[in-house]
Amino acid sequence: MLTVSHLTKTYPNGKRGLIDVGFSIAPGSVTAIIGPSGAGKTTLLRSLNRLLTPEAGEIQLGNQEMRQLPPRALRLVRRQIGMIFQDYNLIEPLSALENVLHGCLGRKSLAAGMLGLYTKEEKKQALTLLEEVGLGDYALQKAGSLSGGQKQRVGIARAMMQAPQVILCDEPIASLDPASTHTVMTLLKDLAIQHDLMVIINLHQVDLAREFADHILGVNAGRIVFDDGPAALSDEALAHIYAAPEEAAYG
Amino acid sequence: MAELTQFFNRQRWQRAATLMMLALLLVLPQWLLHVDFADALFGIGAGWQWLGKNFMPNQAALGDLGEILHQLGRTIVIAVAATSIAGVVALLLALAGAKTTSRLPLVQMGVRLFASCMRNIPFVAWALVLLFSFKQNDFTGFLALFLMTIGYLTRAFVETLEEVPRGVIEALEVTGARYWQIIGQGVLPAVSAPLMSWLLYMIENNIRDATLVGMLTGTGIGFIFDLYFKSFRYPSAGLVVLAIIAVTIAIELTSTKLRQVLAQ
Ligand SMILES: Nc1ncnc2c1ncn2[C@@H]1O[C@H](COP(=O)(O)OP(=O)(O)O)[C@@H](O)[C@H]1O
Ligand SMILES: [Mg+2]
Repeated sequence: MLTVSHLTKTYPNGKRGLIDVGFSIAPGSVTAIIGPSGAGKTTLLRSLNRLLTPEAGEIQLGNQEMRQLPPRALRLVRRQIGMIFQDYNLIEPLSALENVLHGCLGRKSLAAGMLGLYTKEEKKQALTLLEEVGLGDYALQKAGSLSGGQKQRVGIARAMMQAPQVILCDEPIASLDPASTHTVMTLLKDLAIQHDLMVIINLHQVDLAREFADHILGVNAGRIVFDDGPAALSDEALAHIYAAPEEAAYG
Repeated sequence: MAELTQFFNRQRWQRAATLMMLALLLVLPQWLLHVDFADALFGIGAGWQWLGKNFMPNQAALGDLGEILHQLGRTIVIAVAATSIAGVVALLLALAGAKTTSRLPLVQMGVRLFASCMRNIPFVAWALVLLFSFKQNDFTGFLALFLMTIGYLTRAFVETLEEVPRGVIEALEVTGARYWQIIGQGVLPAVSAPLMSWLLYMIENNIRDATLVGMLTGTGIGFIFDLYFKSFRYPSAGLVVLAIIAVTIAIELTSTKLRQVLAQ
């Protein structure tokens, strides 16, 4: 269970990214965060694994409060939160398999991790994950030589290698063609169910949110203005989520 | 239409100005310094002729071949060792100096300043300072090359490291990996090809420079060239030059080939 309450983030320049945000997310589900550009979707996602530091509120993962964790403890909690990115962020000269293995660096000793001394079990696990994302045959291929959709699936396998409870995805399909988009979204949904994960996805396509999400959060001008299942996402609700900021504030 | 005419007019003016500048650059030195380019060209030709006549290796020079190859070998070993060790030190400095991998902004600035200072001290100065400190031996030559190389490689490595996208490093940070794990498994594999390429390029350059450094520090191939030259054994000195040219071409070809392989 991930529970966020009263989360507030102000950027150093005074810009308010999040204002009193609260919601909770259940394991085994896909949550889509939708909202106009600049609403605060990225800010919210990056606050959840503390790439950003909100100044107030709570982020409760299991029984661990995350917002105020000191760096060392933060590293341990971060291992439980995987992240995938719009531009994949793989080490392109390395093989797909090596990229997936990066997912377990956080639980290895400093030296073994630095030198890349992975155990047989870790290698086997990475290979299994690559098979699970449909890239078993590409394990030894350079990540840089894969297609966008394949790179994103390597990114997903890397996140899965952390054995996470949560996977955060910031616009994971924004650089992909429709076929790859479908593959990646289906994969994320299946993984959420099979591994009892909380998958949280920033999206700008409402139809994809409707199709794949169990839970939709609508963000507008730093506030949560919609928090319900896809069935409740009426045209009226959509208009509210995508309203120009002033309207939403009075809505 | 008026705009178009204006555009072409401006272009014509620019061309005319460029031509005038070129003409001026050609005429000014002749006028100020009494350098005659035609004369200079002829002079260079005469120089080559003189070289060809006096420096052509002969039977006697071939007797020195053993010693020449021995000194050349020593010089190459010293150049490779100095460059490689400088490479390791420069990499550590660059990690502390590059925006992407540095953890302390103050150290970042310090490294950049250091690299820039080292780069701007001419190697003649290094060789002379070291000569007075350590006298004539191989170590002096080694140290001179090492110090010359550090500044260049640090700067090149900093720039290479800064080309790693911030997001790639972030992707590893969020797995819970620690700094040195991210460096070892993420950053270095991402940049190893360009880093090696810089190192090879520097080795190539340093083998050439080692000859000059050797003349000053009295070591290796530079030293025996100096020796032959000053004792008027021009054919032997010519053989030294030929040997150096052969080796640098061979090294350049090898290093180009290696860099092509690395780039794949
Ligand atoms: N580093 C930053 N400094 C200042 N303001 C920022 C920064 N990052 C984002 N913002 C602002 O915060 C708001 C939310 O941005 P973001 O979370 O990126 O929106 P979204 O992902 O929904 O498009 C925007 O108004 C944006 O301009
Ligand atoms: Mg965004």
